Amino acid sequence: MSPQRIAEAQWLVRCAASAILLLCVAGLAAARVGNGVQLPSTTTRDGTLVTLNRYVNEPIPDLVLVGSSLTFRLKEEYFATPGVRNLALAGGSPLTGLTIVANRSKIPRIVLVETNVLSRSVDTGLVDKYSKDDNVDSWFARPIRTVVALYENWMHAPPTREQAFLTRARLLDQHPQRFDNRIYVDRAFQQLDADEPTSAARENAERIRLLTGLLEQRGARVLLLEVPYMDRIEETRSVKATRAIIHAAFPERDRWLPVAVERNELRWADGVHLDERSALIVSQAIDDVLKALPSSTSTAK
Amino acid sequence: MTFTSWQFGIFAAVVLVTYYLPLVRSFQVQWLVLASLFFYGYGQPELLPLLAVAVLGTYLFLILAIRDRSVWLPVGIVFNLLLLAFFKYKFLFFDPASSSGVGVASIDFVLRLPLPIGISFFVFHNISLLVDLTKQKALSPSFGNVFLYIIFFPQLVSGPITRAEMFMPQIEPKSFADVRIVEAAKLLLTGFFFKLYVANNLNEMTSYMGFPLFETLQTQDRWLLVILYSYQIYADFFGYSSIALGLALLFGYRLPLNFNLPYAATSFADFWTRWHISLSAWLRRYLYIPLGGNRCGPGRTYLNLMIVMGLGGLWHGAGLSYLVWSLFHGLLLVMERAVTPHGQLADSAVLRRVKMGIVFFCVTMLWILFKLPNFDQALNYLSGMFVPSAIPNPTKLFYNLALLHSLPVILQHLLRRPLPGRVQRRAEPYLYGAMAALTYLEAGPETSFIYFQF
Repeated sequence: MSPQRIAEAQWLVRCAASAILLLCVAGLAAARVGNGVQLPSTTTRDGTLVTLNRYVNEPIPDLVLVGSSLTFRLKEEYFATPGVRNLALAGGSPLTGLTIVANRSKIPRIVLVETNVLSRSVDTGLVDKYSKDDNVDSWFARPIRTVVALYENWMHAPPTREQAFLTRARLLDQHPQRFDNRIYVDRAFQQLDADEPTSAARENAERIRLLTGLLEQRGARVLLLEVPYMDRIEETRSVKATRAIIHAAFPERDRWLPVAVERNELRWADGVHLDERSALIVSQAIDDVLKALPSSTSTAK
Repeated sequence: MTFTSWQFGIFAAVVLVTYYLPLVRSFQVQWLVLASLFFYGYGQPELLPLLAVAVLGTYLFLILAIRDRSVWLPVGIVFNLLLLAFFKYKFLFFDPASSSGVGVASIDFVLRLPLPIGISFFVFHNISLLVDLTKQKALSPSFGNVFLYIIFFPQLVSGPITRAEMFMPQIEPKSFADVRIVEAAKLLLTGFFFKLYVANNLNEMTSYMGFPLFETLQTQDRWLLVILYSYQIYADFFGYSSIALGLALLFGYRLPLNFNLPYAATSFADFWTRWHISLSAWLRRYLYIPLGGNRCGPGRTYLNLMIVMGLGGLWHGAGLSYLVWSLFHGLLLVMERAVTPHGQLADSAVLRRVKMGIVFFCVTMLWILFKLPNFDQALNYLSGMFVPSAIPNPTKLFYNLALLHSLPVILQHLLRRPLPGRVQRRAEPYLYGAMAALTYLEAGPETSFIYFQF
């Protein structure tokens, strides 16, 4: 072998050795710490993964919300009821969260299913990943993200019950927002009035019925929920058609969780999604109904 | 099949091992042509006939032009430009979603074909081939060699655009003993690192520059994302080019450098000698100089610059944004030339830094037109950068992640020689090893190379 080839071989061996060494360190870190350090989210989808990771890694909560970006705004700390986990997927279908909940071996006591958006299909990638009980995110720790996660978790720890209470009080003390959202409302109206997601909505309504039955056989209580829209958006073809389909599939009144709120207190930042204060008001309305529910459904498995 | 897929890894390994087998040594060119056809046809086999038409047509015109250059060279160039123009701009006049075509099945089929991947690049190869080989009055090259030059898979999809007179002489039997393995490994590791760690992670954030997501951004985040996109597009294309160079080197071919620290440029003319160098060099050689270059007075020089930049913009696509982007660059070049007609202003380290900052700022702002090819959306984004946002619930971006994912680009440009020569040589394999591990551990979500769309 020529001296040049020997030098090249040495270079490659050193390069490979340092790469393997670092991978071993990352593997050991993952084995010792696991994937317990929650990585920061850079997109809404990441935010969703944060919640799903917590759902599969922590004890099963009492109550789970599944839905779309409309429900995503109802933050867990807005609820006075302890043990609430929001599995709503921004840009996703309520069925994704519902399927994951139904596929796991342990289920929550109550499942709230948002029915506003039924046109989207299930995210099978997420369902496959989070349905298994032995979910292993990665064999290796991700050094950069782990360091950032530790820093972020240290700097922005989740609010304590007292802090959450103060936040709720501060938000409720504020006046409703006066943000001019006409451009966004017009755009949302055009989009939602353009077509009726009839066949997709029918299929999804049927699938919700199936999963609801399965969950209730296992002792959970499943309630359906409609997050309020702006009045103008309520009149769009898509919203009206979706509502008609889901109510036809679930005509029983006690299946629905009523959201009793002063509508003039609500604001929608972009015409569709509730702003922070309005999301808190809706969360509290849900809270009130939950408190009044009989606690006979505590045997979910 | 993209360079970062596992399918490509298997493909490249099989092609490479077979390539150096003693039995295949006499058929290395044919083997590479076959592999390149497989690479190109993988996933979109319906585009293979188009590639065949481009190669066969060019070869035919090459043979004819070697006999009579004055007649057949222009015909060959027009043939290639028509091919490019048809596929690039047909959707301006024809809606592929419409059910009614022209009524002739074969024409409707061609009209509905998507933009063939890499057409902008292999058409430029074809023109270079016609011009260079007919100028040299060389003997007709073999069909296999021409085929290999045009469709050599490391450079087929997004370049670098190699000149025929550089590539063709390299076509000869190759031996594994001559391969510069470490050099190739460095190029490959650097390329994958910049693509997977830098570009793909930054893409997670810059996806918020898309419409209507950018309306959820605060003003300062719009500025941040423009800078991040500037880093991303560099890391993405530099990464791709580096992988292409490394792959070609493994097969015994040296492709031209495509990037040379473009964000360290101290003038706009300097920028274009550092960014997408192979395209700039191609345009200079085959368009700017034949138009007269700077030999016909200042007015004509400025016009030539604007023509070359304008056509360079249209080469990227049929959007108004690309044209405006390139004309702005042309204008900057013209203004710079008018202000400093006889070379550089008095220079100092501070002044160089200031000029570097100005060039980076202008280039970065113009990338908005690249990210948002819809001109109205680009203007909307731009105007939002200069007014305070009043959006409730804005998107949260993690600035520390943004910095950590941009750091390789920043360090590469600022620390050109980070360590003393001997220390660097000793530390180098370990640093590349660390880069390889980080590429695997911290790769961002898969996204296609930005330049694939061209």
